[in-house]
Amino acid sequence: MSFRHLLRAEWTKLRSVSRWLLALAAAAVFTVAFSVLASSAGTTNFEGGVAVSPDGKPVADDFHFVHKPLAGDGSLVARVAEQDNTHADAMAGIMVKNGATRGASYASVAVTPGGDVRMMADFRDVDARTGTAPRWLRLDRSGTRVTTYDSADGSTWREIGRAELAGLPATVEVGMFVTSPGELIVQRSAGSTGVGERPTSGRATFADVRVDGAAGPAWASDDLVRPGFGKDPASVSGSTREAAGRFTVTGSGSIGLNEPPDDTVQIGLFGTLAGLLVLVPLGVVYITSEYRRGLIRTTFAAAPARAPVLAAKAVVLGGLTFAIGLAAALVAFFVTQPILRDHGFKPPMFPEQSLTEPRVLRAVIGAAVFLTLLTLLGLGAGAVMRRGAPAIAAVITLTLVPTFVGSVVPVAAARTLMLITPAGGFAMQRAKPATEWLVEPWSMIGPWAGFAVLGTYAAVALVAGGWLMRRRDA
Amino acid sequence: MEPSIEVRELRKRYGSTTAVDNLSFTVSPGQVCGFVGPNGAGKSTTMRVILGLDAPDAGHAHVGGQPYRTLRRPLTQVGALLDAAAVHPGRRARDHLLWMAHSNGIPARRVGEVLDLVGLAPVARRRVGGFSLGMRQRLGIAAALLGDPPVLLFDEPVNGLDPEGIVWIRGLLRGLAADGRAVLVSSHLMGELEDTADHLVVVGRGRLVVDTTVSGLLAAASGGRVDVRTSRRAEALTVLANAGATVAVTGLDGLTVTDLPAEAISAALTTAGLPFSQLSPHRATLEEAYMELTRGSVEFGAAEVSA
Amino acid sequence: MNVLRAEWTKARTLQSTPWLLIGLVALTVTVGALAAASLHVRDCADPADCGEDFAKLSLAGLWLSQAVAVVIGVLAFGNEYGTRMITLTVAAVPGRLRVLAGKATVVLVLVLAAAVPGVVAAYALARTIFTRNGFPLPDAVTAASVRAAGGTVLYLALVALLALGVSALVRDTSGALSAVLALLYATPALALVVSDPTWQERLQRFSPLTAGMAIQATTNLDALPIGPWRGLGVLAAWTAAALVAGAVSFLARDA
Repeated sequence: MSFRHLLRAEWTKLRSVSRWLLALAAAAVFTVAFSVLASSAGTTNFEGGVAVSPDGKPVADDFHFVHKPLAGDGSLVARVAEQDNTHADAMAGIMVKNGATRGASYASVAVTPGGDVRMMADFRDVDARTGTAPRWLRLDRSGTRVTTYDSADGSTWREIGRAELAGLPATVEVGMFVTSPGELIVQRSAGSTGVGERPTSGRATFADVRVDGAAGPAWASDDLVRPGFGKDPASVSGSTREAAGRFTVTGSGSIGLNEPPDDTVQIGLFGTLAGLLVLVPLGVVYITSEYRRGLIRTTFAAAPARAPVLAAKAVVLGGLTFAIGLAAALVAFFVTQPILRDHGFKPPMFPEQSLTEPRVLRAVIGAAVFLTLLTLLGLGAGAVMRRGAPAIAAVITLTLVPTFVGSVVPVAAARTLMLITPAGGFAMQRAKPATEWLVEPWSMIGPWAGFAVLGTYAAVALVAGGWLMRRRDA
Repeated sequence: MEPSIEVRELRKRYGSTTAVDNLSFTVSPGQVCGFVGPNGAGKSTTMRVILGLDAPDAGHAHVGGQPYRTLRRPLTQVGALLDAAAVHPGRRARDHLLWMAHSNGIPARRVGEVLDLVGLAPVARRRVGGFSLGMRQRLGIAAALLGDPPVLLFDEPVNGLDPEGIVWIRGLLRGLAADGRAVLVSSHLMGELEDTADHLVVVGRGRLVVDTTVSGLLAAASGGRVDVRTSRRAEALTVLANAGATVAVTGLDGLTVTDLPAEAISAALTTAGLPFSQLSPHRATLEEAYMELTRGSVEFGAAEVSA
Repeated sequence: MNVLRAEWTKARTLQSTPWLLIGLVALTVTVGALAAASLHVRDCADPADCGEDFAKLSLAGLWLSQAVAVVIGVLAFGNEYGTRMITLTVAAVPGRLRVLAGKATVVLVLVLAAAVPGVVAAYALARTIFTRNGFPLPDAVTAASVRAAGGTVLYLALVALLALGVSALVRDTSGALSAVLALLYATPALALVVSDPTWQERLQRFSPLTAGMAIQATTNLDALPIGPWRGLGVLAAWTAAALVAGAVSFLARDA
């Protein structure tokens, strides 16, 4: 019997059992309904006071700024004499900014204790070279173009990078800045989770500061910090002290994109939890029902090679599940995004997600793949165990229990759980990068890792099932 | 309890299908009552209602004058074989009977006795999953006999039995009736009932077709026909048809003649100079009788195959 | 009673029964031991008071062993409907309520027979591991620890009976099993992504797993969404509802 015939036979078997077709339809409906439920029952608890970048993204823009106005073209040179090592990404450097307000357009170059000289513009990294304090830094502004340089001695300059700051007005603020990000503290002991941030206060000393161009006379000192940050103002607010041309500046915070780790795409796809509770039993029963009724003997008589039967089932059920899963995922995505926006997941903290973004598309397709792989895992488990009850119990338990156990155990244990159980597959539905900030353990591994874990489970189950089918008596 | 089964104006519907419609009959003690009809005529449904498994929409079915559900220790009053496949394949044959014995306070030694009776004693400790169809059938019969009940119901008991088994079952059924029990046997195969049943209830499409004794049915079906055997069949057929008879061709050299007495047939053939080797009253088989009766009620009839 | 004897014979002559019981015990003991082994006193911020709920950790096996209890409960009716043996059962004992009671009793006895030694062994084993890892432990037998351990046994029994009720209603082994596992495991997973605190609390107070497992807590009771006994009561309510629904279905419908 050729494989094409086997496929046709399996398709006929599947579509002739109305209960199974009903289950497929129900899986799609449950997926969408459960996604809506998850989205409607969510609110965010991010406080306001978020800064918004020129292109509308949520950003952190917290630092201490010692600045003066510059009208037209010019340049700023300063030597960073020392920098305290308060954090590997603490920054001490010089900046040109469209005003001393959070979220305004800027370009900067700074040294870090971690050992680089970094240029940033508009909340994105432009380029970096190796180097630490003490170091000379230089920034040239020409219209909307900014070029930065560094030097070891103050005379030979090497270019770090260039940036175009669209819409930069004639008068801008230029000056020195210091900032130091908070330390991430994640405490997970058995039974509780605590995620927090401990602020650090960076400190650096600047000397040989020179501004060329139509600059104002006096330096202003401003603390750009988001309201409510930290509990003790004394520990986070910056300061400036000038003595004989040397500026000692302290500052706290970080500068860069600050998208919260909550993934609205994933919340909107979470209904696959309900879908899998229908699809896994379907995958199991698709094979175990043949054993129960003795139909398996007829099937094997028609296809003595046996293992291709399992392959045909996998193709038919897998293909159907993928199609239905993809449709459900798309519907769930489009229906839930407006709901989430109504519940506080809106710009600027949560920019609108569009299907045209590659990572969003990947997550939506990932949801369909997630459902398909779990269905196939059920099929393989059913072929191995030949009885429905243990196969269903094993697959559902291994997929669901690690998700909430992983939310109350230490980080390392949780990540291990995600990498050794099918629960890791939930990561395939995330559009944002992996993070340790969320309660959900599967957010700690990337989507491809999740695909690898679940894919391996399904593959091993199917291969084992096929091999056992050949070896055992029918 | 008086060994009897009484079904009165029974009606049962499943969804839009009426499986049993206004059915009434009685099985008396000391009788084997054959319950026959085409597939889908409502025989299994009636038995399920008698056993209290399904509730009727109208009418009632009583065993010994009582509804089944009110019986104490029902397995000692009514034994039934409905579906031989209703066993758990992982369980041993002995254990399958043992739990039933326990449920009705029947002593455990009865299990061994009935297994002996049906010939399954050698495989008592084997798991039922490995049994053949005939072995499972015997196990079901053993289960029915477990409580030594005065009333017995068998749904297609001969299904899957080898010829030796069929002979054995015939003897068993007759023996049970001779004990004074009431035995209801359903089947769609006539041959096995011909020598076993005293009384026949024929159903078709859920309704009663006829309720009579076997001899009565046969007599009605034979209907004064005559069997003739002759080597010159074609000519004989013409002669007899001309004499006003309805003639059917049977076998290699036979004719079955209706509407003409034996002497007239003999005279007509002799006059035509046609020799014949047999001239005798036609003895209908139960099969023929049944086919004629239920011709209109066959629900699942196959297409006629021309010989 | 005869019905009880028959149901017990059915249970003990089934190949899967001993494996299920062994599985229940094994999961209860090993998961608790793993949980205990994963912690060491040096990870504690303050060695004198680590703030861990040792009793609850030792009983962590409940996360997985309840799935086995569910399977035991589902098979009680699922096996019979699957093989059509239910017709024989009902013919042998027309009083269906007695059949249900008999099955429930046998399921209860089986689960208790596995749960009690399992829980005791898990508790004891985890304690020795904790002590070896340097933790100072409270007394072995306190009111709280007895409640936690006894409550775990009760939880397993209730969950098995819940599954029994659902299987009498749904009649199909796979369907009943999926439904009960979904009821137990889906709500805690949902609670992970639901950030609205009102909804989170609702889910945790009324879902059978999170409410029922509150019985295991011996410390930090204020942080629980619902009190230990009240939580177990929620699970008992779900079980009662399932049993009633199953009974009505079994008694009223055709076999």
